[in-house]
Parts: sequence; C-alpha cells; structure tokens
Amino acid sequence: MVLLDIFDPKAPPKPIGIDLGTTNSIVAHVRDERPVALTTCDGSALLPSVVYYGDHGSVIVGASAKAYASLHPERTLASVKRFMGRGADDPETQRLAAHRLAPPSTPDEARVVRFDVGSRVVTPVEVSAEILKSLKQSAQDQLGALGGAVITVPAYFDDAQRQATRDAGRLAGLEVLRLLNEPTAAALAYGLDKKQDGLFAVYDLGGGTFDVTLLRLEDGVFQVKSTGGDSALGGDDMDRRIAEEMLAAMGASEAAARTPELVALVLDAARRAKHGLTEALEVAVELPKRGGGTVVYDLRRPHFDELIEPLLERTGRACRRAMRDAEVEPAALDGVILVGGSTRVPRVRSFVEETFGREPLADIDPDLVVAYGAAVQAQLLAESSDEVLLLDVLPLSLGVETMGGGVDKVLPRNTTIPAGARSTFTTYADNQTGFEIHVVQGERELAKDCRSLARFTLAGIPPLPAGMARLEITFHVDENNLLKVEASELTTGLRQAIDVRPSYGLTDEQVETMLLDALDHGEEDFEARRLADAKVEGSRMLLATRKALAADADLLDPAERARVEQALGALERAIDGAERVASVQLGIDGLDAATHEWSGRRMDRAIQSAIAGKSVEAIGESVAHARGVEAHLIEHGALPQKET
Amino acid sequence: MLDPFATLGLEPAFDLDLAEAERRHRDLSRALHPDRHSQSTPADRRAALGKAIEVNEAWRTLKDPIRRGEALLRRLGVEVEEGREPKPDPAFLMHVMEQREALAQAGRERNEARLEALVGEMRAEQARAIAALSLELGRAAANGGASVHAAALLSRLGELRYCQRFLDEATMLRDELF
Repeated sequence: MVLLDIFDPKAPPKPIGIDLGTTNSIVAHVRDERPVALTTCDGSALLPSVVYYGDHGSVIVGASAKAYASLHPERTLASVKRFMGRGADDPETQRLAAHRLAPPSTPDEARVVRFDVGSRVVTPVEVSAEILKSLKQSAQDQLGALGGAVITVPAYFDDAQRQATRDAGRLAGLEVLRLLNEPTAAALAYGLDKKQDGLFAVYDLGGGTFDVTLLRLEDGVFQVKSTGGDSALGGDDMDRRIAEEMLAAMGASEAAARTPELVALVLDAARRAKHGLTEALEVAVELPKRGGGTVVYDLRRPHFDELIEPLLERTGRACRRAMRDAEVEPAALDGVILVGGSTRVPRVRSFVEETFGREPLADIDPDLVVAYGAAVQAQLLAESSDEVLLLDVLPLSLGVETMGGGVDKVLPRNTTIPAGARSTFTTYADNQTGFEIHVVQGERELAKDCRSLARFTLAGIPPLPAGMARLEITFHVDENNLLKVEASELTTGLRQAIDVRPSYGLTDEQVETMLLDALDHGEEDFEARRLADAKVEGSRMLLATRKALAADADLLDPAERARVEQALGALERAIDGAERVASVQLGIDGLDAATHEWSGRRMDRAIQSAIAGKSVEAIGESVAHARGVEAHLIEHGALPQKET
Repeated sequence: MLDPFATLGLEPAFDLDLAEAERRHRDLSRALHPDRHSQSTPADRRAALGKAIEVNEAWRTLKDPIRRGEALLRRLGVEVEEGREPKPDPAFLMHVMEQREALAQAGRERNEARLEALVGEMRAEQARAIAALSLELGRAAANGGASVHAAALLSRLGELRYCQRFLDEATMLRDELF
C-alpha cells in the first residue's frame, strides 16, 4: 500500500530554515512550536554538501554524490562554501583539494571561482543552488507549499559572500526571506529553548568556517554585542593537516604524485581518522604506498591535538578580540554554546573551556542547532511576531579608500544593523569632473589589505576649483547585512544612478541568464513565473494595505483616503485579470505611490507609542516609588495616617 | 544630521542614563526593525527601514562620549568638525606623543602587560577629559547656551579624540598580536 500525503490546498505556505553548510546542509521547519529537521533525499537530516556532475547535464546531490568522489574526483564538488564570493585568484583556491579549476579567460570570469567538472564549467553559486534545490524538493515533498526560506551564513561572511549565498537561493527558486548569521541562529534555538536571559558566547566551528559571537538576551531581544571569526578556518583544515602526514607516509610528498584521485582518497581517510578520534585514543589507517604495497598510518590523540593546536589558537584570538569588542570578561558570561560538527573534537571542547573559563553547553545537537534557529526565524518572519527580535551587527568595518591608499572607515565593525552612514569627499584637482570611489571591507589600515567590495565612478561633476565640489556617499546596510551605496554631488544636487561594480561575484544579469537556462521552456516559463510572483506580491500588498487602513485610516485626509481606495481597486483588478507582469506592476506602483506619505506618518505614530509606552511605565514606577516614600514616612510617624 | 536625543525621545544631557537610552533603543527597534515589517506594504517597509537606521545611528552616537559631545555642541549652535578644533594644551599633546611611542615599543616587544598598562593609563586620561567636558557642557546648558565658551569645549573634544585614537591604535595592535 502506498501512503499518500494529502495536502490541504488552502493551508498557508510553510516557511523553512536552511543551514547551507560547508560539509552538510539541513532543512528544518517549525511544527507545533518546535523546530524539527526534515528528512533529506538521503533519508537522514544531514545532506552532505557534495554535488556530482554527470554526463548530459545530470546532477546528483548528497551521499550518492559523495560516493562518486573517489571514482570521479573532478566531477564531484565538496566544500564549495569556501569559494562563495571569492575571486579566481583567491589564496583559498590554492589549498589541497581534489577539484579542477577552469582558468579565467576574461576579467569578468576572474570575479568568481569556476570549477571544470568535465562536461561543463560551474560556479560555487550554481553548485550551492543544486544543494538548495535538493533541500527545497525534500521540504516540498513533506510540507506541501513552501513559504520563504531563511538561509544561514557564517557571521563573518563579507558582503560578496552574502550576495553569492542570496544568488544561490534565487537560482534554486527560493524566496529568501532573510540571510541569518549562524551563531545568532544557534542562540535563537537555545534562548527559546531555555527561556533564560543573560550574556552568551557562541563558538561555532564548522567544516570550513569559524565564528564567535557574543550576545545578550533580554526581554525577547537578542542583541549581538560583537562578532568575529575566520571565514576560511574549519574542520577541513584539520583534515588537511592529517592528510599531509598521510601523503608523506605514503611517499607522495611532492605535488606531481598528488593526483585528484589520491587527494580525494586521502582527504576522506583523514576525515574518518579524525571522526574516529572523537571516541578512541588512537586510530590506525592502512594506506597504499607509492610504488606498491601498503603503509599503516597511526594517529594518536595527543599528536592530533598538537596538529590542530595552531588552528585552535587562531580561534582563541578571535574569541579574545570579540570579548574585548563587547567589553566583556569571561566571568560575566552566563553560558557558552557549541555549534558546528568540529566542536565534537574533544580538544576543541577543552580549548573552549580554557578560553571562556566555563564548561560549554552542547545539549542541542551541534549539527542541527543552526537549522533549528533558521526555522524559528522563518516562522517569526512569516508571522511578523513581536515576541522575539534579533538585533545583529556588521561583522567587518566598511570603508572607502582614501587618497594615499588608506581607508576611511564609514561604518565600524559591530555596528547594529540595519545601519546607514554618510561620508563627504571633495575633489583634489581643479576642474575634476569624475570621482572614483572604492568601497572596501575589513580592519586593516591599507585598502589593498582589505576586501575590495565595489568600485564606481560618479561622472558629470561641474568643473570647479579643487576642493569646491563636495561629494556625499551614503551607505546602507540592510538586515541581511547587504550593502547599498548611493552618491550625490552636493553643490549641484546631482544625484545619479551609479553603476556599482562588485569586485567579486555574479552580476544580476548573469544570475537572470542562469535562471532562464535552468527552465526547460526558457522565456515562456520565465514570464509565467514572473507573473505568478508579481500576483503573489500584489495580493500581499492588498492584504497589508487593508490591515494598515484598519489601524491608521485616521492618518489620511479624505482625498488621500479616496486615492488609496482607488489604487487598491485598480491593483485588485490587475491581479484578477492581467496576463502581463507589467499591468500588475503598474497596480503595485500605483498603490505604492498612494501610500508612501501615509507610511511615514504611520511610522511616526509607531515611534510615539513606543516612546510613550515606556514613559507611562516609568511614570507608573515613580508613582509606586512615591507611594513607598509616603508609606515610609507614615510608618515613622512623620505623616498622619489617613482615616479609612 | 538629526538630533540623536530627539530621535530616541530623550532629554539632551551629557550625563545621560545609558541603560535607559539602550532600553529606548530596544523599544524603538521592536517597533521599527525590518523583521517586524516583513508582512507590511513596500512603503511601510521603506519608512520603517529608514527610521530603524536613524534609531540605530542615534544610539551609536549617544553611547560614544565624543559623538555625544558633538551632538550637544551642535544643539548649542557650535559648529563641530573633526580636525578643525583648536589644538589641545601642548603639555597634553607631549604626554600623548610619549604614550604613543611607548605603545609602539610595547607592540615591538610583544609586551602585553605593558600594552594593557598603557591602555589603563589612557582610559584614566579619557575619564578625566570626559568628566571635564561633562562639567563644561552642563554649565553651558545651565545658562541656556547664552554664553558658550566654544573654544574651550572644542579643545576638550579634541583631547578626547587624541585619547580615542590612542585606544584605537592599541586595539589594532592587540588584534594583531594577541
């Protein structure tokens, strides 16, 4: 007998949370107010983040793909998260690995890492999209219609790495509600579980990334105090250290002997040896020797601990820095949370204990806790819940390159997001009509040592003596930690759309092209999907506007009210009748224009009531206090007792 | 630039209750954060985002004594621009210069204890300048800003900037070395 899941077609779409990990990926959702991980195509919660590219465009994801790694190492891509948002020349591409890179032939191609998988060339964004698609499919099979998705990223991911993750989500056909920092997600899962206020440190050591975050939980608000880490440090590095020793023992020290097949085999053996040492004190691995025969490589825990000590020391530095940034001593912490599969290593646990001076918590599975938090956040967003709020921070300082190659920091690290800042610049030559801006991210003093995010030119500045033209640059970092830049010239008010050219990653057009290619019927399907998306967006807007009318119609004068009603009707008709995206869009734009000013007033009202709410409480407190004084005086006979 | 005190609905004062300001920031974030408006109209989302940014910026300004001082000076009608302030007292400048040399040396010698000691001394220096600025700003506010001794206030602010720069340098050194 086959059991069919019957989905209620009227059931609201279900939001999901996804942990897109270096080694494993997980999809979770909230069921009966508790996060649960969904079964992936492999039959377990953990989907190995491995993708195999076969002939004729076939793609396999997960454990089955992993099985191909030793047979077809170049067609099997693992740990691609390490390459997200990186350029072809990034040092990360030079490390021990079994894949083959496609050398870039144009500067455009050099802005992303490209893997040659034999039948084609793919970017990390496309590989990640395959993993996301597989998770999405599993979730759909189990839940029916999906709402949007929250995807987690390492807190220390820079702007390019976040953009790449968002692009992968789009490419997988997911509505990305939010990019959420992994440690914050873990804290959310723990905080809601324990319902305990306090100051927490999250130590997150995954397959390829390390993060440390200090945050305070108070009245349902998770306020991140500081965050630090290394987006190229993780369990993979432990494997590489073991693998190097194994290769030496096999007589394959020189590069020429290291074929992709051999590297894939040794990395896998190294990983298994590491896992073995979680329980055992010693493991022995039989390896093929160069020129025939075998050799037994023996690894004991003390030696393994020694091998990984430099890696741990790097995490320790980041922890100390995060504590200094938050102005916190270890003694002030209420708990330390362990996240990521690499925190299963016994030496990692003892190291964390030494660093923070307390035993860490690991009662939620460190492999699943991030996905749980993502699912919780997705649910909160879908409900617009007011119980819990996450206030996250900018992980790395944002700045602009100055004349001597230095950096003018516009927004320092650990600034609460969303954040905005303005910076003014002036021309340095007479009659200078163009101005080049180079936006960088990082903590180093020189722009060349920071990550280049974007370059753009503001042209058409009126010819003026040096120092007379004034240029204002506005930076906006949204709740996803994604940056937007605007520039205008102040003397003329010239505000122009600037072409911000990201230094790394895919352009919007490239992603669109990939989206088109992914659909079987190309253009036609694409239009149909865009129309469906526009209608969904329009319907949401109708609902939200009506809700706003129910609450704040008094902030509209009769003429404005009439305009809003008219625009509502027009959008509704457009959604019912339209067969073209443009007519729905017209309705959306019309309603948007009619509600724009009203929204400003609505927010002012929300601000007033937020301030007043507290003032009323404060008055209440002082009244209570006054009563206390009175009672005190009565007690001491200074005031006559009231007659009752 | 907007007045951060007005944005957070707080009485302007240098000695402001930071715990209360932080609570206010949190209450306003609850009302304005984009996550609270994920189901709102695009216009509401834009308006809320803009206000949320202002609120975050206001709190960032108020928790930093230099930026808080600047905001108060602007309220008193004094123009503030970094680098255009009157130079602090030469003895103070000399002292900071010596301390910076000592800091650089501690860095070269990787002497963490020495670095921490220098940071401690500079923090004390900073606390003194903050107390003085607080007193002077309080006096200026008390007479309704009628006779603001702008030059003295600005040079005090300049002193604080020197302290901050030293502490920032120490942070960079520490991040690099320890």
